[in-house]
Amino acid sequence: MPEGTLCNRQPITTDEQLKLTLSDKGGKQYYAEMEQLEVDTDKLWSAIQNTMKSRLKTWLNVCAKCGLCADSCFLYECNGRDPRQVPSAKIHATLGEIVKRKGKVDNAFMRNCMDIAWSWCTCCNRCGQFCPHGIDMGVMFSYLRGLLFSQGFVPWELKIGSGMHRVYKAQMDVTTEDWVDTCEWMADENCEEWPGLEIPVDKEDADIMYTLNAREAKHYPEDIAEAAILFHVAGENWTVPSEGWEQTSLTLFAGDWEGCKQNVLHVYDAIERLRPKRVVGTECGHAHRATVIEGPYWAGREDGQPPRPFLHYVEWLAEMLRTGRIKIDPAKRIKELVTLQDSCNYVRNQGLKNITREIMSYLVEPGYFVEMAPNKEYNYCCGGGGGFNGIGKYRPQRNIALLKKRQQIMDTGAKLVVAPCHNCWDAIRDLEEEYPMGIRWSFLKPLVIKMMIVPDHLKPQDEEGEE
Amino acid sequence: MYNFLTGPMVWITFLVVVVGLTYHVVTYIRGLDWRLDRVGYRPNMQFGLKGAARSIFFWLLPWGSHGWRAKPLFTLLFFSFHIGLLFTPIFLEAHNIMLRDSWGIRLPGISTGLADFLSWVVVIGGIFLILRRIAFPEVRILTSAYDYLLIVIAVSPFLTGLIARYNVGDYNFWLIVHIITGHVWLLSLVFTKLNHAVFFFLSRAQLGMDYGIKRGGMKGSQMSW
Amino acid sequence: MKKKILLATTGSPASFGAARVAFEMAKRYDAELLLFHVAGVPKKGFSYQEVSDVRSQEAVSVDEDYMAWVEEELKTTYAKQLEECKNSRILLATGLPHREILRAARSEDVDMIIMGAHSGDSSAVYSKGYPGSTLQRVAKAAKCPVMTVHRESASYMGGFSHIVFATDFSKQSESAFKYALSMAKEFDCEMTLFHALDITSKVLAQSDIEDKLISLRKRLRDVYGPKMGEFKNFEVDVWEGNPYVEIVKIARERMADLIVLAHNTRDLDPEQASMGSTLEQVILRANCPVVSVNRPDKV
Repeated sequence: MPEGTLCNRQPITTDEQLKLTLSDKGGKQYYAEMEQLEVDTDKLWSAIQNTMKSRLKTWLNVCAKCGLCADSCFLYECNGRDPRQVPSAKIHATLGEIVKRKGKVDNAFMRNCMDIAWSWCTCCNRCGQFCPHGIDMGVMFSYLRGLLFSQGFVPWELKIGSGMHRVYKAQMDVTTEDWVDTCEWMADENCEEWPGLEIPVDKEDADIMYTLNAREAKHYPEDIAEAAILFHVAGENWTVPSEGWEQTSLTLFAGDWEGCKQNVLHVYDAIERLRPKRVVGTECGHAHRATVIEGPYWAGREDGQPPRPFLHYVEWLAEMLRTGRIKIDPAKRIKELVTLQDSCNYVRNQGLKNITREIMSYLVEPGYFVEMAPNKEYNYCCGGGGGFNGIGKYRPQRNIALLKKRQQIMDTGAKLVVAPCHNCWDAIRDLEEEYPMGIRWSFLKPLVIKMMIVPDHLKPQDEEGEE
Repeated sequence: MYNFLTGPMVWITFLVVVVGLTYHVVTYIRGLDWRLDRVGYRPNMQFGLKGAARSIFFWLLPWGSHGWRAKPLFTLLFFSFHIGLLFTPIFLEAHNIMLRDSWGIRLPGISTGLADFLSWVVVIGGIFLILRRIAFPEVRILTSAYDYLLIVIAVSPFLTGLIARYNVGDYNFWLIVHIITGHVWLLSLVFTKLNHAVFFFLSRAQLGMDYGIKRGGMKGSQMSW
Repeated sequence: MKKKILLATTGSPASFGAARVAFEMAKRYDAELLLFHVAGVPKKGFSYQEVSDVRSQEAVSVDEDYMAWVEEELKTTYAKQLEECKNSRILLATGLPHREILRAARSEDVDMIIMGAHSGDSSAVYSKGYPGSTLQRVAKAAKCPVMTVHRESASYMGGFSHIVFATDFSKQSESAFKYALSMAKEFDCEMTLFHALDITSKVLAQSDIEDKLISLRKRLRDVYGPKMGEFKNFEVDVWEGNPYVEIVKIARERMADLIVLAHNTRDLDPEQASMGSTLEQVILRANCPVVSVNRPDKV
């Protein structure tokens, strides 16, 4: 069988195919079909020739095999320092081998590549910081994922994820109607407590356009309400687009580069349509990476910048705290040991290391903030990045990968972890589930709402209350 | 034989090295692709160059980067080896005499004692590099015969030079071997992984530009190498 | 207009009391009963199918078979009641329990939510990152009254004969009052308008307390008396103490079979809620159903 009905080289582009793939419980048939999937070696080799230019070629060729990348990799350390987990070994056993054999590789080889690309690497890019030759193996694994996706060797959930984006323009089946309705719902649910609270949809020429993660709309719209409350309190003239609101990109995890481009263009179209002064994205790492850091290049913008200044939520929040548009009640500051998770996607990959620390300085009573070690751009991945959290097939490997973060958190002695990234947040939640250690974790929004000083004119007026 | 190796062959080798390395540099830079690499090199050149310079500088400094500091002993080994490898042939008195005889120019020389010392550093360093590849599982798994060959190519002119210098065995024989291995050494700069003599700078500069442009540099946040 | 009651159930014994009340109420009002169950909570990062089963806490993947099985289980659990209650539907969802209950209540435009206090175990890890219990969050955000039946013994067997309405004079209490009054009229029962003077935070002289009690009684009469209209079967009382204890005590003393109070959002810190909120404590301790009303929309 050259191509299966579920597992094949075509991305999912119709709702029908999406539902069909979804109905395959746990991807059982999908993975069974994968064992029969033929490798289109000509296509593979021509893809490599067209896209592997001097940077990647040099990285593969110039590797001195010195092994200095070994200790940089948390997966190497978590897996008993298995030499096969050395980043250089991993990439040369996969991408390196495909190139060496000029694309002439078989099914079993490709399936092994898939396992390594998605369960032995989270594309956290930490190894690139330790290579004397500046070889970033995370980037190479992203590239490998692209090759694997184009050949149909991609984990089931990510095939679906890419399909969700292509069909629903969101990582989950949230339609435009669902989304707009959710905004109304959240405004309605909170308007008594926050008189005048609005979630303006499609307002043109606003100061801020807000984009987010479809999971917020689907499972915890509270997060949208919290964002609205904070914009409201800060007095922002803001809006959300009815289309192009989904900022995340499972296509990035899947290696579906064409899908990545489609996603980011939805957001950019919304920017062009509504002409906001600036755009703010939610507390998500990969969404920011996909839309702000890599997105401009997928969209073909040579300067590497989105159409309008595009801030991560932490940048906006830091600005509000700095300028006093949101004020923290000093009495309510955090007075217990608290640590901060640096997200690879916007700390290592966009240098926002000091912004989050500035926020912590407002939220935490001096002396209670403990850094993880290592931290900032040298922090380790949460253990669930790059799609790892969502892939059922690799759950056991993911659970091992959590151990590094567990150790780091335990070493801080903190019981509260601030994690302004969806993936990190999830990984830390799962960490507590798998290896209970009595920690709590939080996004920034609920913390700030709890601690901020609400100006009198924004409080509900007609409430008398108890004496 | 001696005359050929120290006459026309030198010209040939130098020519091949200069042309070959220039070719590497030019094709590398021409092969950079802002779309595929997802780095806006051209419009953000200022940021890129700054990032490139920082990236190279901190890694040229012994213990200058987090990476070097993470492995202090290896860093010591690595820097001594490379310093010996590069300084000795350029500043060796004997080489300088040949240079003066043929081109009439000369570089400042180093004392024989220092040259001997540096050569020994290279030889012993090479041995340690080999031992390291055998001893550590995380390096062993990466190592192939080619990696040993590279060390042999890199070290052999120094070893043969020392043998000739101490007059062990037939001086003329060892001198010829020394010159041949020297040529191999130079030509390997073009044709083997020893091309990292230029690719180190190119690749480091590229990643530095990536950090300088896309990964924080334009946000005013410098990568702490 | 036909009334709709949403019974949010875990299908476990903890929610049997709630079920009994719900089916009784549906019969009484000839209302449509929506038997609502959250089958599973999303487990993985962007999971499309894998959820942790609400009852077993095990990871399961959701598909038609699983949902059909869950539905069958519910039908078996409530076989008798469903047979008697012709006008009912079973609704299933996956997601975070409080959110899905609110979503269903909103999309079905229900008039009342009835749930057991254990609907959705708040100690489970999945909900730890989301502060507050399912109950807290439903009670806070729902637009309709939310009735909670904590213990099976708290589920009434006949009609309502005495309603305690506890107020803190907040705006939300207005809505709670309207609801309590309409229930009292509907069931033609006695009603106690009650306020608890919180003396737990500071030490007061006994004379101060007594002065306050007098003025609060007057205030209760002044505020609610005129709104009673034709309804005369009520009394007014103010006790001092720890509010939730006093509310539970007066309900017991008056042999009340329903407590109505507002879920006051003002002093709610969701993380403290499981220990601190008056509403939650009343629910846990009361020997009768407790209705919380937060909004004027559905009373």
